[in-house]
Amino acid sequence: MNRITLRLGAPIAAAAMALAGVGTAQAASGSVARASKPTYTIAYEGPLSGGNAQLGLNMKFAVQLAINQANSGTTFKKLPFKLKFLAEDDQGSATQSPAAAQAVINNSSVVAVVGPAFSGATKAAEPLYHAANLPTVSPSATAPALATQGWNNFFRVVADDNAQGPGDATYVVKKLGAKKIYTVDDASAYAVGLVQAFAKKAQQLGATVTHQEAPGTTQCQAGTGNVQQYGALATEIKSSGAPVTFYAGYYCDFALLAKALRADGYNGRLMSDDGSLDPHYVSEAGASVANGTLLSCACTNLGSSKTDTTFSSQFKKLAGFAVGTYSAEAYDATNTIIKAMAKVGSNVKRSALVTALHKVVYTGLTKTVHFQPNGNIAGSTVYLYQVKNGSIVELGPVSKLVG
Amino acid sequence: MTAAPRRGSALRRLWTSEDARRGFACVVGGLVLAVMTGPEGSSTAPTSGFTGSLFHARVIGFIVFGLVLWGLITVRRRYATQVRAFSDKVTAAPRRLLPDKRVRAVVYLAVLAFAIAYPATLNSFWQEVLVDQIGVYVLLAIGLNVVVGYAGLLDLGYIAFFAIGAYSAAYWTGALPIHPPFHLNPFYAIPLAIIAAMLAGVVLGAPTLRLRGDYLAIVTLGFGEIIQIVATNLQGVTGGAQGVIGIPHFSIHLLGIHYDWGINSLPYYYLLLGFVVLVLFGFHFLENSRVGRAWVAIREDEVAAESSGINVLKYKVMAFAIGASTSGFAGMLEASKISFVEPADLTVQLSILILVLVIFGGMGSLPGAVVGAAVLQWLPQYLRVHPLLGFQQQDIYIYLGALLVVMMIFRPEGIIPSRRRKREIGLAEHGVGHADALSGQSGPVA
Amino acid sequence: MCFTQNFWNLVVSGLADGFLYALIAIGYTLVYGVLQLINFAHSEVFMSGGFASYFILNAAIGTSQPHGIGSLAFLALGTVGGGLGGALVAFLLERVAYRPLRRRNAPRLAFLISAIGASYFIYNIAGKEFGRNALEIPSPFTNGPVFSIFGATVQTYYVVIAVSAVIMLVLVDRVVAMTRLGKGIRAVAQDAETASLMGVNIDRVISQTFIIGGILGGAAGFLFGLNAGVVYTMGFTPALKAFTAAVLGGIGNIRGAMIGGLLLGIVENLGVACTQASWRDVVAFGILVLVLLVRPTGILGEQLGRAA
Repeated sequence: MNRITLRLGAPIAAAAMALAGVGTAQAASGSVARASKPTYTIAYEGPLSGGNAQLGLNMKFAVQLAINQANSGTTFKKLPFKLKFLAEDDQGSATQSPAAAQAVINNSSVVAVVGPAFSGATKAAEPLYHAANLPTVSPSATAPALATQGWNNFFRVVADDNAQGPGDATYVVKKLGAKKIYTVDDASAYAVGLVQAFAKKAQQLGATVTHQEAPGTTQCQAGTGNVQQYGALATEIKSSGAPVTFYAGYYCDFALLAKALRADGYNGRLMSDDGSLDPHYVSEAGASVANGTLLSCACTNLGSSKTDTTFSSQFKKLAGFAVGTYSAEAYDATNTIIKAMAKVGSNVKRSALVTALHKVVYTGLTKTVHFQPNGNIAGSTVYLYQVKNGSIVELGPVSKLVG
Repeated sequence: MTAAPRRGSALRRLWTSEDARRGFACVVGGLVLAVMTGPEGSSTAPTSGFTGSLFHARVIGFIVFGLVLWGLITVRRRYATQVRAFSDKVTAAPRRLLPDKRVRAVVYLAVLAFAIAYPATLNSFWQEVLVDQIGVYVLLAIGLNVVVGYAGLLDLGYIAFFAIGAYSAAYWTGALPIHPPFHLNPFYAIPLAIIAAMLAGVVLGAPTLRLRGDYLAIVTLGFGEIIQIVATNLQGVTGGAQGVIGIPHFSIHLLGIHYDWGINSLPYYYLLLGFVVLVLFGFHFLENSRVGRAWVAIREDEVAAESSGINVLKYKVMAFAIGASTSGFAGMLEASKISFVEPADLTVQLSILILVLVIFGGMGSLPGAVVGAAVLQWLPQYLRVHPLLGFQQQDIYIYLGALLVVMMIFRPEGIIPSRRRKREIGLAEHGVGHADALSGQSGPVA
Repeated sequence: MCFTQNFWNLVVSGLADGFLYALIAIGYTLVYGVLQLINFAHSEVFMSGGFASYFILNAAIGTSQPHGIGSLAFLALGTVGGGLGGALVAFLLERVAYRPLRRRNAPRLAFLISAIGASYFIYNIAGKEFGRNALEIPSPFTNGPVFSIFGATVQTYYVVIAVSAVIMLVLVDRVVAMTRLGKGIRAVAQDAETASLMGVNIDRVISQTFIIGGILGGAAGFLFGLNAGVVYTMGFTPALKAFTAAVLGGIGNIRGAMIGGLLLGIVENLGVACTQASWRDVVAFGILVLVLLVRPTGILGEQLGRAA
């Protein structure tokens, strides 16, 4: 979409939404509103305040963008309904999340939720959503346990930790031929699961794995952390002599670790996961440090394609800051919901939408979204990326690379 | 004052005039409020938030607000005697009646009746808020009130005991990776969770309560951090960063009665209400017992208390352990309610939040702790449903922080002060006594 | 022993952390000296210094790659900028959150709470105005190994921290020991009432104390941010560690804060070698509790007036 359509689109969308609002108001007061489409709300639940606010805002504006675009007809043509947006703050916390969920559930126009963003918050809120039969599509909750609780309304557009780890391990051991691997995780629920899956597979394949847990620093994960711990850790890794260091966590801390390692003179290969598959990793670590780093993701990254750059620029226009971790996933989650809604038709019910989401296939920015019966994303092919000359390029699926 | 102008005696007079300075402070306050409620800036345009809120028509409203505030303060000061006479007249009846035991009983019963009847009429969102955000925090605030309000000890790691209670609940109900010798219904796990938290309080308190107050603050802060790290790191025991899922809800299977508290909030609310009332009764009697008087003596003057034969350490440990066990109790209830607990939730910030609740309500005052917790926990939720003046959820801690500073300047005794506490603060301000057990040997601040 | 293998490496990285702790700890210790108060909002002084230097260096360096004498100039600029930012916030903090309470002779708990409130206010408003993502300070120099000592590689960054910190620590030590200003601080620390009777302007001395602490804290914010970037929540943990360091060395004692900071940094880093990186804070606080139990006045004792 170019600028002009956006400029024209926004007021039209606003006008349309206002009309739709009038329409529903009339419908509520008893008179029959002719030809006006019904309005449904897609809610977002995630942290909007507290230490994790930025991560939540990354997703919130992506959801809002997807909804604005759907209303203006740029991403979906001729939708039989209008969409509204509702954001509820759970601070990323399990104790705040049930109340936020209840607020969403009580809003009868809400037919689907993007979120909850955090695994812990999801564990606490999902029983309520499940009881209300309200579908939730999480852009970022990766804990494997979420898919085993029997919540048929639970979906996520990210691969769970068990998908990525073994693929990464296979590549490191078989292709790179590493016999000794140093693994580090950032103590987040996401990384801990990932590193365990990685280590298990690597050991099966005959490599020895040394592991350290290094909680994310304050700069990267507010309130959780240590200060500049990577100096000592880098020393440990260097003296271990491991030719490959695998980091499970997010780009911000990975960049700090990478800098510390290179400053210490460590020459081994660095590798990380989708949490670090972010241009910020290269910009924060510096190209000279980041070059050669391997990154994996159960997603194909359309980083350089046209859709993605328009997404980035429009996101920036709406949010006031650049796209960040999980923005694209939230955008995909929202569009997946909208596509499923379009399949249901103009009369969208929560329960019908749950069924529709189980069948939907949607090709988004990060991957083709299709859900397994337990809500996990189907077809978790792990793709490998590498930093070359300061930019991230795709190498291809691990299965092919290993051969 | 370094900035005092040398020339122009009129200017100097203006600057040294209390009235003018107060007016200046009020207008600056208005401008700060304008920035607080104004638009956001960003790293690429760091001044845009300021310019957007200060060079914009809306700033006039805030300046006017500041001036009006100044006017009100000035009028109030100028007519201080009349204002006091008026407020005395208005509050005369309640002040005469409240000390009367029967009147108080009636008031409390009315409040209780309201607390029982009203929530049933609320929608499920507010019921959820009543349990997760208000009820549990009221319980926590009452408990911390014993430590901070009664004994004057500063505990900045209060949430650690909440964690111990929550994880005990998870352990005894069989939700942890390590299994107990026998699985218990959550009801039977209550005393065990309380005992675990209390033991932790004694173990931490006995050696550290000998220390001066500031040190206690930092040791408890550290303890809070340590508990969170341990819960995160000991994966085999606590389930690690992923938390523990599947802690059972409360249920009764007795004499043919089967009832499960389930995922709805209202039943939990009544359970919590019952426990809070019980705890309130207990603490009320404690406050007026020998123990309570010992706490007051320690708080007001530790040296004098010691020399009049009070075992200071014993009573401090007692207060600390009672507070800890209340926190553990709250943790146990919350864990069972949301049937999940994770280390990432147990932050130092939460400990500080609970402290804020107690101080806002009024240290040492049971009604204060209850009302303070209820109001401060209710307000953000209210604002999220009805945003005022461009209020944004992510700015909530800006407001809470400013509120604390303003409270400490203008009303340090809290919104519902305990009478004793108010007198102590007054005395301390005149250089008699301490009003808290922070000082140890050194006197009031210069 | 578990740490003997990389002993010198760990000591080097520990010293780098330790110098930062020492710089921050001085702010705590000075304020504690004159007011017998923990300045809970000192973490935000640190954060403000980081942000001030970020904005200054971002404007000054831009995308260029300074080297040689340019590097030094930009480092000095960043340190001064960070120091001024920290000093400004510390000054305002004292004015708004402390002085009104001091006038009223409020109980000590009130100061602590007002400081906690101020801290929440400052860091959240910084997040609102400057964005909530971590920002990279453009580096005035290229980091890399410079030389080795006992087999431990020393990076440029460590050298920068050590040199700037030593200069500032020596300066502050001399200022407190020798100047009129220092005399005032020591007088108030020993006995505020007498000092005021002797004609010391207590308000002014307290203001100046906050400013000195603010300069060091703000400069530490810059040095910290050089490697790790700045973000609105960056103050909490370093400040907590620095406070631990101040207590370790004997709170109220300037040299104690320096020694405490360095010691804490080294022990923490050695601790990582023996446990996991994730137990680092447990090691730090464990030490704190032990020290308090065995020697509650810290390594060098408490009095600002006496020791400096």
